[in-house]
Amino acid sequence: MTRRQTIVTYLVVVPFAIVLGFPFFFALITMFKTNLDLANVEHSPYTYNDLAGHLHWDFWNYATLDHVRFLFEETNYPTWLLNTAIVGGAVVVITLLLAMPAGYALARLAGGWGQGAGVGIFLVYLIPPTLLFLPLSRLVSQLGLKDSLWALILVYPSFTVPFATWLLMGFFKTIPPELEEAALMDGASRLKALRLIVLPVSLPGILTVVIFAFSLCVNEFIYAFTFISSSEQRTVSAGIPNDLIRGDVFFWQSLMAATLIPAIPLALLYNAFLDRFIKGFTGGAFR
Amino acid sequence: MADVAEEVASASSALTRGDLLKRGSAAAFAVSMFGGLAERAFAAPYGPLQFAHRQLSGELKIMTWAHFVPDYDKWLDGTYAKQWGEANDVEVKIDHINNALLYSTGAAEVAAQSGHDLFWFISPPSTFQKQAIPVTDLVQEVSKKVGRMTAVARKSTYNPKTKQFYGFPEGYAPDPVQYRKSLLQEAGVSLKTWDDVRRGAPKLKQIGHPVGLGMSNEIDSNMLLTSLLYCYGGFIQDEQNRVVIGQGKNRQGAIQALQVMREIYRNGMSDEVFAWTAASNNQAFLAGRLSVALNAISIARSAEDAGNQALSDDTWLASIPRGPAMRMGNEHVMGTYLIWKFAKNKEAAQKYAVDQMLNYRDHFIRSKYYNFPPWTGSIKGGFKEIRRIASQDPHKPRGKYAVLTTIAEKYTTNPGYPGNTTPVMDEIYNTFLIPQMFATVAQGKSTPAEAVSAFAARAASIYRKWHNQKLV
Repeated sequence: MTRRQTIVTYLVVVPFAIVLGFPFFFALITMFKTNLDLANVEHSPYTYNDLAGHLHWDFWNYATLDHVRFLFEETNYPTWLLNTAIVGGAVVVITLLLAMPAGYALARLAGGWGQGAGVGIFLVYLIPPTLLFLPLSRLVSQLGLKDSLWALILVYPSFTVPFATWLLMGFFKTIPPELEEAALMDGASRLKALRLIVLPVSLPGILTVVIFAFSLCVNEFIYAFTFISSSEQRTVSAGIPNDLIRGDVFFWQSLMAATLIPAIPLALLYNAFLDRFIKGFTGGAFR
Repeated sequence: MADVAEEVASASSALTRGDLLKRGSAAAFAVSMFGGLAERAFAAPYGPLQFAHRQLSGELKIMTWAHFVPDYDKWLDGTYAKQWGEANDVEVKIDHINNALLYSTGAAEVAAQSGHDLFWFISPPSTFQKQAIPVTDLVQEVSKKVGRMTAVARKSTYNPKTKQFYGFPEGYAPDPVQYRKSLLQEAGVSLKTWDDVRRGAPKLKQIGHPVGLGMSNEIDSNMLLTSLLYCYGGFIQDEQNRVVIGQGKNRQGAIQALQVMREIYRNGMSDEVFAWTAASNNQAFLAGRLSVALNAISIARSAEDAGNQALSDDTWLASIPRGPAMRMGNEHVMGTYLIWKFAKNKEAAQKYAVDQMLNYRDHFIRSKYYNFPPWTGSIKGGFKEIRRIASQDPHKPRGKYAVLTTIAEKYTTNPGYPGNTTPVMDEIYNTFLIPQMFATVAQGKSTPAEAVSAFAARAASIYRKWHNQKLV
């Protein structure tokens, strides 16, 4: 890359990075602010100020851990994090178990109608949860799953599986069928060819499904809110707005801390697998 | 009607002999083992048990809001409900949710025909009344013990068409004006009448602290703007619960209210009021921007809790301004319990609701005077005692919360006044037709007369729907 190209790249990327990173920075600052500092609009929101609104070099002495402490000690936040991890992990496993064979079958075995079926499956993904939560709540109730994490573990695949199937179908199509045919010629079964040849090559697509399905589980609100009403069983997406917005009072600092904390590992995860993630999403685009 | 009466009878009837024997044996065993310890523990702070003849069991699931006073919820869950459960051999489980999500959760429970035994709504949920058992017998039970129910609670939860109370009032919040004393003095503004507000709003905006009156799809705007309609005589319903806003004096009153609000907005507010949530006036006031807001006491209490002494001391409370027709405002919250028809433990739900009302003093105090009793007599001494307690609040200006008693006693009514809180009013509130009517006029999208006509037509259509269902 030439020096000029480097400069242009940074000129484009740096403003984007600032804009995208700003909410994280703002949340980080706000979560340690005192009530008085936060409420006064004449104080700078980007630093910690004294009562008169002045900035000091030892600004950390004007910050407080009270709201983070409140979050961890006075709410069920640690439990919500754990619940989210359990639901996310279970949904990822179910999604992979269902979407991988489905995607492979549609890509390789379904013949001409595979493409149409793929589009049909994707359309299922587009039905909004706001329409589905009422009938599904009856189903969940009849199964005796209300107030249980199992309700989410069983319902979430209804939107992760269609998307993952569609995504993996596109990805499997990019893999030359000759690879499997060679394996089949050498005496491998279809399943063995899938396990030993196709899946290792499809790792970027599978990783994309893992990250995407997990993110959807963390972000989902309507089902998490409707199917679970006890605070101890909630996930972060439903627990935070329920327990940190009381009546018409927002617990801003705790809200910021509660949203920032799960965002950090997710951001790191995305970053660690960014290249594969992009490859997974664009894998089906060049065929 | 007969069905409803039967349900009331069956829900409140005495136990069968078989049940009595079974539960009696269990109770005798429990009493012999534990010597009534739980009952004594409960009796000490909350008075003797009511309905001592009834023996309950099982789990009682309650859904309610996340109260803006976290310590109230902590006490309710950890102390009150726990002790009540121990005393009644019932495992009480209380779930709290954000108040904005109560209706959708209620709808989901109705769709699933399963959920909580006792479901609390922030305003009278009369559109759900076919899904709930009538609680007329519970209301009568409480009234016998502590005296008459307040008019605001009665009109909020009674359906004259079915002649039943469909919901049990749990508590209500008066809706005071909260204002910055120093700013009003500086601008020379009074809040005695709506005309004072109209004339004062530009002055307050000029000194950088506008008035904050919402015209958005949220509950505070609903309450405030309906109150404004009352003050100008623009009633949506009459005493017989017919929609009358499009007719005669009501129409004229509504047009005047719209004109006044348009002027207050144009000269004294900013566009943000069209996009407010229920929390926005709190936040803008606490940030020091607003000079005036109409809200329950969460604004003043939040200033105190945040340690913002200067703002807290400068925040005063007052009754709603007087209009040409009257000085009258809606309750800010009318907490109403529904007992679903599909509730699994109706008996425990009924007893819990009644016992809470008969032991209300702590609820009033621990909610920092947010929860007012629907039966004034449920706090011994009535309004006199309530005023005494409220006036002892230590925050400055001393005695500022005493005015809540005046507001509750004289200037608080129900949505739908002078009629009842009908399903028509509930649907109008849930679809936010009132803020939308005010917003279209304030934004110049329609004239006050056009807006009232359009609103009246929508309200009439809603009325027909509920009339056909024989609920109004």
